Amino acid sequence: MMHCTMEDLGALQAGEASVWARRHITTCAACQAELEGLYQRIAQLKALPALRPPRDRWPAVKSALRAQRSRRRRTWGAWTGSLALAATIAAVLLMQPGTQSTAHAELTHVKQQSATLEDSLQRYDTDGRVLSGHAAAVVADLEDRISILDGTLVQREQSAQDAELLQLWQERVGLMRELMNARATRARYVGL
Amino acid sequence: MTVSLAVPDVLVARAQAGDEAALEALFRAFETPVYNLVRRMLRRPEDAEDVLQETFLEVVRNIKQYRGEGHLWGWIRRIASTKALMRIRRDQVRQTESLDEEPGKPGMHIGANLDLERAFERLSETSRAVVWLHDVEGYTHEEIAEQMGKSVSFSKSQLARAHARLRRMLDEGAHA
Ligand SMILES: [Zn+2]
Repeated sequence: MMHCTMEDLGALQAGEASVWARRHITTCAACQAELEGLYQRIAQLKALPALRPPRDRWPAVKSALRAQRSRRRRTWGAWTGSLALAATIAAVLLMQPGTQSTAHAELTHVKQQSATLEDSLQRYDTDGRVLSGHAAAVVADLEDRISILDGTLVQREQSAQDAELLQLWQERVGLMRELMNARATRARYVGL
Repeated sequence: MTVSLAVPDVLVARAQAGDEAALEALFRAFETPVYNLVRRMLRRPEDAEDVLQETFLEVVRNIKQYRGEGHLWGWIRRIASTKALMRIRRDQVRQTESLDEEPGKPGMHIGANLDLERAFERLSETSRAVVWLHDVEGYTHEEIAEQMGKSVSFSKSQLARAHARLRRMLDEGAHA
């Protein structure tokens, strides 16, 4: 029997597969498993933690910029540099932990992370600052997504495998970190 | 990795006006996502650091042209990925896949305990770039093809080949 190639699976994922592949995947357990494997690999890649630069490259960038500028200033006499802005903004970087083999232990861990974040968020919630329009929209969007995820978790908690739950919980932790950072960034700016 | 960068418009405006502190703030906001992106594509950390620096110089040079269409991260990301791809194209040696006897990694063999991250690192830089840009960053094959100066079918077949290789490596790992 003919099976889907990796290219067929990619096309299925993109929703542009051939009629044959679309029909085949509905009946072939082996190809269904391959497609699921593909989805899992992609999810795992997405969940890899961010790699951070080993050294600070800003001094090098800054000196290159200053050199460019002094050239330009001589040319146009136009540059007016202001060093008034003292604070750096928060890099809102969200990393999800890599998926490990022991899904259950990881699940417990990720639930703890979620609880910790929940605590921190509550502290932000009580700081009483008014959100700007954009920040409010970002926060509202994240809160909506967390709510939707919570709905799914309630539905799946009893029946789903650990691996699936883990993914959902990781997603939740990711969203909460995003929410944290959205609030933290705003708070720092308000404090300027 | 999920990146969510909230950069206030006022900061972009200050950066566009040439305010050095604002530029540093932008650098701080984006150094890790940029480094992570290009480090995933490139094999050598030093290359990734160089691309980080190049990327930011271009960002500064062109920030005045940034009109706020789309997200700032999307704009910066494109500069970074283009630079990383240029580096890959410059050096054809990079097209090769990492082999067992790769120097500096004694005793490492395809098999036991090979996780996805390690398997991914064994792909050629071209494959890494296609997989990362498509699967993680969400680029379309059209965008990848355009940035690489290749055809859409090249991008598609690279992606399929890379996934077939990943699958094989992980499978061998599982049965070792
Ligand atoms: Zn099949």
